[in-house]
Amino acid sequence: MRSRLATTMEVDGLSAFSLREFGCEQNLLSRPDGSSSFVQGDTSVLAGVYGPAEVKISKEIYDRATMEVVIQPKVGLPGVKERAREQCVRETCEAALLSTLHPRSSLSLVLQVVHDDGSLLSCCLNAACMALMDAGLPMGCLFCGVTCAIDPEGHIVTDPTAQQEKDSRAVMTFAIDSAQHRVMMSSTKGSFSVNELQQCIAVSQRASEKIFQFYRESVRRRYSKTV
Amino acid sequence: MAAGFKTAEPLEYHRSFLKENCRPDGRELGEFRTTTLNIGSISTADGSALVKIGNTTVICGIKGELTSPPADAPNSGYIVPNVDLPPLCSSKFRPGPPGEQAQAASQFMADVIESSEVLLKEDLCIEKAKLCWVLYCDIMCLDYDGNLLDACVIALVAALKNAQLPEVSINKDTDLAEVNTDKKRHLNVAKHPVSSSFAVFDDSIVIVDPTAEEETLSTAMMTVVTDENETLCMLHKPGGTSLSSEKLQDCISRAVTRNREVGKLINTVTQSVETDK
Amino acid sequence: MRETPLSNCERQFLLKAIEEKKRLDGRQTYDYRNIKITFGTDYGCCIVDLGKTRVLAQVSCELVAPKENRPTEGILFLSLELSPMASPIFEAGRQSELLVKLNRLLERCLRNSKCIDTESLCVVSGEKVWQIRVDVHVLNHEGNLMDAASIAAIAGLCHFRRPDVGIQGDEVTVYGPEERDPVPLSIYHMPICVSFAFFLEGTYLLVDPSEREERVMDGLLVIAMNKHREICSIQSSGGIMLLKDQVLRCSKIASVKVSEITDLINRALENDRKARKEGGKFGFAELMAVQRITALKSDEVSIEMSDGDAGAPSVAITTESPPEVGRVPSPVVRAPGAGQVGESLENAWGLEQLEEEEDQPGDEVMDEGLEIKEENQRQEKSKGEVVVISDSEEEEVVILNPKTQVKESTLHASQSQPQSTGAAKKKKKQQKKKPVH
Repeated sequence: MRSRLATTMEVDGLSAFSLREFGCEQNLLSRPDGSSSFVQGDTSVLAGVYGPAEVKISKEIYDRATMEVVIQPKVGLPGVKERAREQCVRETCEAALLSTLHPRSSLSLVLQVVHDDGSLLSCCLNAACMALMDAGLPMGCLFCGVTCAIDPEGHIVTDPTAQQEKDSRAVMTFAIDSAQHRVMMSSTKGSFSVNELQQCIAVSQRASEKIFQFYRESVRRRYSKTV
Repeated sequence: MAAGFKTAEPLEYHRSFLKENCRPDGRELGEFRTTTLNIGSISTADGSALVKIGNTTVICGIKGELTSPPADAPNSGYIVPNVDLPPLCSSKFRPGPPGEQAQAASQFMADVIESSEVLLKEDLCIEKAKLCWVLYCDIMCLDYDGNLLDACVIALVAALKNAQLPEVSINKDTDLAEVNTDKKRHLNVAKHPVSSSFAVFDDSIVIVDPTAEEETLSTAMMTVVTDENETLCMLHKPGGTSLSSEKLQDCISRAVTRNREVGKLINTVTQSVETDK
Repeated sequence: MRETPLSNCERQFLLKAIEEKKRLDGRQTYDYRNIKITFGTDYGCCIVDLGKTRVLAQVSCELVAPKENRPTEGILFLSLELSPMASPIFEAGRQSELLVKLNRLLERCLRNSKCIDTESLCVVSGEKVWQIRVDVHVLNHEGNLMDAASIAAIAGLCHFRRPDVGIQGDEVTVYGPEERDPVPLSIYHMPICVSFAFFLEGTYLLVDPSEREERVMDGLLVIAMNKHREICSIQSSGGIMLLKDQVLRCSKIASVKVSEITDLINRALENDRKARKEGGKFGFAELMAVQRITALKSDEVSIEMSDGDAGAPSVAITTESPPEVGRVPSPVVRAPGAGQVGESLENAWGLEQLEEEEDQPGDEVMDEGLEIKEENQRQEKSKGEVVVISDSEEEEVVILNPKTQVKESTLHASQSQPQSTGAAKKKKKQQKKKPVH
């Protein structure tokens, strides 16, 4: 496994945070209407979107599209943990998508975990957003996921690896919207103080700017005439 | 007139109340419904509690069984929460395998137990790598009228406090477990997590303790779990519209207050049973 | 979603092209599409691209009890999943006909041909053996899933390393990768499936059919073979009759294809081994084609926190602090084991009618002892049975009114119930109210 430099360094009394190297490829699968593969360090998630398409009568909603999210683990069948993650991703996507523009239709998002090395939920969110963009679905805002871990000494580590998550006291994942940089989704593990929470939110908001910058660049690269 | 308005335009109906800082059922925005707790309601379980928040009714039964510890953690036991939403509690649930909401609630309870350390799994170990307790915490909703998670958390904590397990020892000669049913002791409930749920209306108005109707009309849901030391155990917001950190802070403050109310309730009720003996 | 049917003209077009020995993607009859094999950072993880068909395989292991009739053999478990990502017609968790067929073929190809040494997976005879689990996920369905799945599964098995175990007495220790190097599985041979599609009652044959070709074919012949030209399994489906010569010709083609593919897998394994040894970069992160315009990579970025850090705590301060513990309303104990908090909204059940006794937090503390004693008397009768908040008062009226009215209705309510328990209550209520007036 590649070693990673310590992510929390004291610089003039202020902590410096970092995101692992990340990347994304869109439109890599031929069958789905939109697809993406998002990589954060060694963590990698593949996403595929189908829709707007025909919906089962039992799931039809008269004034908006029905959103379905499936998360496939790498080993074994999806369990309760995946269901909880699916709920988080689905409700975040629902809030970002303008689903009222496609009433009585289905949107389905499938996420395949390719490698889990920490910050999995945030990687799922980022892959989901990139796949929705690739599918060309109308969205009110973009969203991205940022995971923060608090180590036993109280330092905040952004975008932790699996080992860092294991060693930490608390892990929180936030989805941040691109319009106001506010918290769309939050999922936490472990206990922490209010102050730590607010700090993590502030850090995540900062980190989200970097990710949105990346989104913007990848769209620019894709649609510009000069590569 | 009002009934027709409510059926035709439920969202507008609610909005007209929220504009006046109150809710259709007469509550203020930050007001919880009456919370009723009854413990020891199932005599066959090792511990049980029945919780009502308004009309939402949830019952939790705890059953302890003996088993061998997990291979990767030989000195700990198991706590297995399961939330059941049977069709009897609301027309929105169908019979059959648990739906998404029930599964998400079960996972939420498992996360609360783990994050808050309400009960240390190490306490459930009897003999390292040989014998331990597995606590099945079955939570069943009897009447669903919103705010399921809050009711579940109260029911779980109260039932754990109510639970008594017999003393078990391993006979050195026969290598078999001996259960002494005369000697029962309480579990060591270290923390008292309490959850408070919020619903967001129209991206800005935050109300506490939503009813089922308010839940369906809201644009986002959020649940904050705190323990008695004002430490946060969970900030669970499964998506929906975004909230600023100031709004979050307000919610957390409300959750801390709620924790005290409910903490007192659980303590008083548990004590009342003890003095009764 | 249902599958969109293939239009007649498209069907005729495809068949006509096949008659003229042409394929839509420009391949010759016996050509495979490009095969790309990449391994992940985990041992036993591999992605196979067969043209645009993409399959992910992950091999994992765990210690389990062996099967009773084979106490000294490990277990090989295969599970192929048609992810809804691969095609809109696939549903998550549904056992479709295709899924069952593919799983059975994969089992016959790998397990029944005994491609791995299961006896070496035994740890303690009759007690603990390794179960090797192969999860194959189909990620993109562009035809010929079987060949892609079999390549991915066998390549994953070759790549996989299981943790080493040590046995002292009857204690089994599983060593982590830091303590002892993980051990590879012992592979006897590498069976690989080769699919042949037949068209127009078996007149025409194509190797590695694409999704479109699969939809117009009449029959399919799958031959699983290893590089020693041993046939491990052979299956023809679709109800076509094949001549002996046709099968023999197919098996000859298969032997050529299998040796090519085996070489490819070995080369990919060799490359991965080298990359790991040299400490270079490996895994899927390196797979991304950065030169494509649809792909972008960002190096590790640091996040500067200047005002943000200072801003966060201020949020915490600006909001009002929660009230002191003393100001929190006290709960009301209805009966031993039943209590209530909150005074706003009643539920539709009858129980809050007991509300009369609440609302005076100060009194509550004073009266608590007394109250519980009284409750005890009341409860003595009902002891043994489950204590549900049960007494005659349940029949009372629901009160939603402010306190003053509560008191009125209290009197009214208790008057209407001349039972002994009601009387006891009444006494208590009067006691409680005295200090207020």
